[in-house]
Parts: sequence; C-alpha cells; structure tokens
Amino acid sequence: MTDERPENASEQGVGGGRPQARESAERPAGKREDAAELTESLTDRLVSMVKDDAAVSRRAVLGGLGLAGAGALGFSGPVTADGDHESTPSPHGSSGVAGEYQSTEFDPHSFLREFNTGTVTMENGQRVREFEFSASLEKIQIAPGIEFPAWTYNGQVPGPTIRAVEGEIIRITFSNGQKHPHTVHPHLKNVNPRMDGIPQNGPGVVEQGEEFVYEWKAQPAGCHFYHCHSMPLKEHIHRGLYGAMIVDPDPERVRNNPRDYVNYHGPMTDDLRQELVEEAKLRNHEHRADEVDEMVMVMNGFDTNFDGDNEVYAANTRAFAYGVADTEATEGEWTAGETIKPIQIQRDQRQRVYLVNAIEFDPINSFHTHSQFFDYYDHGTTLKPTHKKIDTIMQCQAQRGIIELDYGDHQPGLYMFHAHQSEFAELGWMSFFEVQA
Amino acid sequence: MTDRERTDGGTAAARSEIPFGLPTWVGAVAPLLLLGIVIAGFVVANPFAGLETGAAPPDITVTHTSLPNDETIVLHVTNNGPDPVTVSQVLVNEAYWDFTMYASGEETNTLDSMESGRIVVPYHWNEGWDIHTDIVLQDGATFGHTIPAPAVTPGLTGELIGLLAVIGLFVGVIPVALGMLWYPVMQRLSRRSLHGVLMFAIGVLAFLAFDAGFEAFELAAEMPSAYEGSLLVVLGIAGALLLIQAISKWQADTVSPLGLAYLVALSVGLHNLAEGLAIGSSIALGRVSLGAFLVIGFMIHNVTEGPAVVAPVADGTRPSLWHFSALGLIAGAPVILGGWIGSAAFSPMLGALFLAVGVGAILQVNWEIGRMVHERGSLGTTTNILAFVLGLAVMYATDLLVVL
Repeated sequence: MTDERPENASEQGVGGGRPQARESAERPAGKREDAAELTESLTDRLVSMVKDDAAVSRRAVLGGLGLAGAGALGFSGPVTADGDHESTPSPHGSSGVAGEYQSTEFDPHSFLREFNTGTVTMENGQRVREFEFSASLEKIQIAPGIEFPAWTYNGQVPGPTIRAVEGEIIRITFSNGQKHPHTVHPHLKNVNPRMDGIPQNGPGVVEQGEEFVYEWKAQPAGCHFYHCHSMPLKEHIHRGLYGAMIVDPDPERVRNNPRDYVNYHGPMTDDLRQELVEEAKLRNHEHRADEVDEMVMVMNGFDTNFDGDNEVYAANTRAFAYGVADTEATEGEWTAGETIKPIQIQRDQRQRVYLVNAIEFDPINSFHTHSQFFDYYDHGTTLKPTHKKIDTIMQCQAQRGIIELDYGDHQPGLYMFHAHQSEFAELGWMSFFEVQA
Repeated sequence: MTDRERTDGGTAAARSEIPFGLPTWVGAVAPLLLLGIVIAGFVVANPFAGLETGAAPPDITVTHTSLPNDETIVLHVTNNGPDPVTVSQVLVNEAYWDFTMYASGEETNTLDSMESGRIVVPYHWNEGWDIHTDIVLQDGATFGHTIPAPAVTPGLTGELIGLLAVIGLFVGVIPVALGMLWYPVMQRLSRRSLHGVLMFAIGVLAFLAFDAGFEAFELAAEMPSAYEGSLLVVLGIAGALLLIQAISKWQADTVSPLGLAYLVALSVGLHNLAEGLAIGSSIALGRVSLGAFLVIGFMIHNVTEGPAVVAPVADGTRPSLWHFSALGLIAGAPVILGGWIGSAAFSPMLGALFLAVGVGAILQVNWEIGRMVHERGSLGTTTNILAFVLGLAVMYATDLLVVL
C-alpha cells in the first residue's frame, strides 16, 4: 500500500482528498517527502502556467484546483486506491476531522519554525529593525473543507512571527488594505503613548488606504504578542489580527544586569552570572539559538457560526494540522497525512516552544504534554524557569511564555500534546511530536 | 342616458370570437406560450443581474436519524436551499468525527438543491445518553441535531413485522370489533337516543380530527422547509375532504346509511393508519417500550371508534354480517399496515400526509353524519349537544393513556 502514496499525491496535485492508502507503522519517510516535493513542483508549474493571466490569482487557482481535486476524488470517506469502500473501519470510529486540507496558502508546519528578523539598519548608533505589515481580508482554511473570512496581517493567521534583539527599535510600517480600520498594538514595555496602537492615542485607527509607522523599543526580552486594538475588540482579535513577537535577550545586558532576568534574591555569583549569559546566548538568534529547535505556537480559535463560541480550535490556525491523518484505534496504529502530520523533532536536541494564547471567547487555554515534564518561563522574561517540571500550563487570553522540553531519554515515537480543555482538544487543538532518534 | 343603461360596457360583443379567427385551443395555449417566451427572455438576457447581491444562506435539515447499532449514527439530511451545499465536517458531542456521506447511491460531500443524503458516522454511543450532532458546512455554518435518549433502531426484521401485526391487532382491530358489538343495543334505541349515539360518534371523530391535525402540523414543522410542510397538510386535509365528497356525490345525491358507515370506517382507518405509523416509527427508533399499559390505553381509546362506525346503520335493517367484518377491517387493520410502514421508512412528510388525509376524511364524514341526523330530526337538541361533548371528553380522557 505504501507504494501508492506518491502516485496519489501526484493525482491530487494540490487538491485534497484523503490519504488513500493506509501505511504500515514503519513507513519510509522518504516516500512522503518525495510526494510533498512532487506536489510542490506540480503546484508551482500550474501556478506559473496561469500567473500571466492577471484576473486569476494564485489563490483562486489553488482553491479551484483544491475543489476540482476534491471533487474528482470524492473528497472524503475512507476509499482505497481502487475505489472500494474500506472493509475494516474501527468499530469505535475515528475522532478528528475528515479529509485533508486542500489549500496550500498557509502551512502550519512551515509557520511553526518561521522567524522574521526584518531588515536591520543603524541610525545614530541605534539598531533599528524594520518590518512591513499590511492588513487584508483573506479566506483561510481552518479545517479541511471549512473556510473562514479572516482579517490578516500580511495575508496570514497568525500574523508573521517577528523577532528582534533586546534594546533595538522595532519599526513597523503598517498599511491597511481592508475595509475596517485597524491598528497594531504591542505587548511590550512601550514608553510612548502615541505608539500604543489604540483608537484613543497617537494616530488612532488606521483607515483603509492609510499608513502609519509604529516604533517600539524591543523590551523586555521575552515571548510577546501583538494584535489589532480596534473596536469591537473581540471581533478584531478573533478574526485573525494577531501574532507572536519575540525579543531575544542581549547577552551583554544580561552580564551587566543579571538580576533583571531572575526572580532570585540570593547572592549573584560569577557562576550564576555566566550561566545566565550562556542561557541568553541560547535564546538569541544572533548567537546560539540555532542549537535549539525553536517553534512558535499561537493558540487560537474560530467562531464560524457567529454564536460567540469557537467551532474550531488549533495551535497555529489549522485544526489537527499537527495531528495524525488516520488512527487505527483498536490497533494503536497511526498514519500521517500530507497536510495533517505530527511535528518531527530530534531526540538529542533541546526543544523550545514560544507559546502564545490568542484565543477569544474562552477565558483560558492550556498546553499539556504527554509523558513529559517541561520548564516554563512565564512571558519568557526570565532566564530561569518560573515553573519547573510541570506537564500542564494554563494561559489566560494574551498570556504567553516559553516552554523548554527535553526528550533525550524518551524512546522514539509519537508523543501527544494538546489543550487540556478536552473540548478544545477534540475541536482541533490536539497535536503530536514525533520524536526521532 | 337610457341608451347607455342598456349597454353592458361593451364586453358582450367580444365573447363569441377569438381575434384573427384563431381556433379556441390556440387562444387557450397562447398565454402559456407567451409566458414561456418571457421566461426564456429572462434566462437569456438576465436583466436583473444587478440584483444578485449574494447567494442565499445555506439551509440543510436533518429529517430523521437512525441508529443501526451502537457504533453507528446515521443522519438523514436534505438540502432545502436553492444552491448546492458541501458538508465539510461533522461534530459529535462537540468533537470532530470521521464520517462518510452518501447521496444518490454514491459517496459525496455535496448535496444539490432539494437532494437528500445519508451521513454515516462511526461513533460508539451510549444508550440513553443524548447525542448532539452538528453538521459544519464549507462556510462554517453549523446545523445541529440532537438525538434524545438514543436506542438501537432494530430495522424491519421478520420478528418486528410479526410483533407489529400483533400490536396492530390488539390496538386497532380488536377494540373496533368490540366496539361494534354495541350494534344490537343501538338497534333497540329510540331515535332520540340513536341520534345521541351518532352525535357521540361525531364528537369522537372531531376529537380525532383535532388530535391528528395538530400532530400533522407538528410533523410538518420537522419537514425540510423547502417542501412547505404546513401547506402540504392543508392540501392533504382539503384534498381528502373534497375528493371523498366528490366520489360520494358521483352516483347519488345523498349517501346511503351503509355507504356512510363505510366512509366512517375509511376515515377511522386513515386515522388508525397514522396511529400505526407513529407506533411503528417509535418502535423503530427505539423510542418506546410498548408496555401492556400503553396497549391497554390504546384499546380503551379505540373501542369508542367501533360504535362510531356502525352508528349510521343502526336505524333500519341490519346489513349482512360480512359488511361488519369489512367495516371492522377497514377501520382497524390499517394500524398494522401503518406500523409496518412506520418502522421501515418513517419520514415526517409521510406521517404528516397520512394524518392530513385522515383529518380531511373525518371532516367529510362528520358532515355526512350531521346531515343524516339533521334530516331525520333535529341536530341541536340538548341530548345531541351533550352527546357530542361527551364524545370529545371520553376521547380526551382516554387519550391521556396513550402518550407515545
């Protein structure tokens, strides 16, 4: 059965349909990558074929292909390659969404490790990091077959993860291409009220066609949050205008002001100071952060039927995107899909998750790891964990933090993590790490 | 002025001829032809394109559900909207769950306008614990449906067919037959008392008409809105009433007493058919444990239908006995038939239609019985009115015993 996967992928193109064949537990990873590559190349070829036609956007092409592919393949239901109904479904059914994602406009697997460091310039001895943001209305896919009319920063939800170093100036040129007025409000220590990104201050809201340049000092070091602060606030946040903002600690500043980075009142020894500096370097993308497997997870939800309650929950927008496509529950077996698949991590590498709670309507969200206890740095503003050895952390709306995981002594395989509000988990916020030796 | 008064506005002259000397049938067809041309013009030219401000909101109804075993939920859905809808996901008790949808005999996720389909969800549910399902469409719209106190739907097995026949016999045929045994007594009654009995029968039937009418409208509300359920019920009531009236006028101006007895039996039979449908579907959906108490309730309730059937022939010579057998079967046996239909293929539309036709038949029959009483004496006597009220009251009291 495994042999059929690349063929299926080529038939599907960027279109959806379920993975057509069940794979054995030891499925060769290469096959899947081949399929992804093939899909990618087909996508590119098709897009380049039609991109000269100005009336056809890339998204329209992809969407159309997705629908066509879905239609051609019957879209859903366990179907084997020869079209027969699958003979042995699990007697308990299979939880999770039916089918796969059809549109490729956003890939949670690449968003996961995508950090935008902008353009750095020096102005009067001050490092300035520049970014461009534009607000727009986009149809995004939040579950297979389900589209949501989102308000986005740069066409994606969550907005781009921006990353700066403590002490720099973050400069965001924000233009609004959407009908509603929007802002960008930073969760930073910002000392200039004009730059707070709220209707009551500075330029107020940015109307359609207008532009405003926000400037914030990157402080304090930590895992932060930005979002639109136009009214009504609930709507402007839940429609998709938010993202993560990471401020890396400056090792020199840590060396000079170590007490700013620990909630500890004992003597500051040279050893401790050095330890903190090393930790800061491992957090700083201009130093040694690349030694750590860094990931961003923005916990969010979508109210698709306007009842003030979320129908879809996720880490990074797409329900179950870090899940498994198919489960043989009575056999304890699983299958990865093309768009629905676990996050692969290396056992001998330190894992760091920048976790942000952007949920609306529900007061809290949470992150729980199976078979694992992690260190948690609330808001990421300290270099020593604020919670040591826990397996569940709760965050209120807009709360965030850094999670550090060590799978060094775990056997390779699948380890679940999810919101421990079971409702959220079953509505999409259920994910897996696939630990590899 | 006197000349003017003689005219009729000039319409009289136009009566005799179709313009241009065309034959009459052309004149009859011409408006339809012109309508066709205008419609074709609209389709081709689309003059109101500017008014198309958006698609109609999707509308999908879960008409009924079946639970073939404790690991499967089947939702029967109909697309009421003018546009096709795509069922993207299904939630069971607020969790996304795997599913397969079938329509027109094949696996699909899309339903055309007015098309019906089945959504099969492999889900291990618990007996007696409500299942809440949501169908999530492509645009995120959700359509919820709760299955209260779920129990396995047995499906139409030989055992069930036999069981329903026995139940129908006890609930329909036996009580009606027992009720008909009042016939000899009724024959000896004075005309005044007999009229009272007939009015009692009208009361019984009137109660059934209300009972069935309300139920028909309730079921109509469950029907997919595209079928205009309430209007279908109105059509069923009026249509049945007028159809029976038309048939009974076919040969004679007044209906013979025996003919009237058959009409009563027919209308009672239609009502009992609907009752059978309700029993059958309740059993099929596992909604009811048809205990002895409920069967006894139905027997007491339906025994009053017996005298209603034979009351029209009580005054005069006794018809031959096979007529009585026929009357009893027409009135009582449909419970069995209804039970079979209801357990095999219950749908709100079928139920509402049978109930509506039953109501129409009862109304027509009541009209006939009333006329019979009126022609032989007086309708509005104290005895008659009290008998009518008694009929209503007895039915109400016994109806309390048979809430499904």
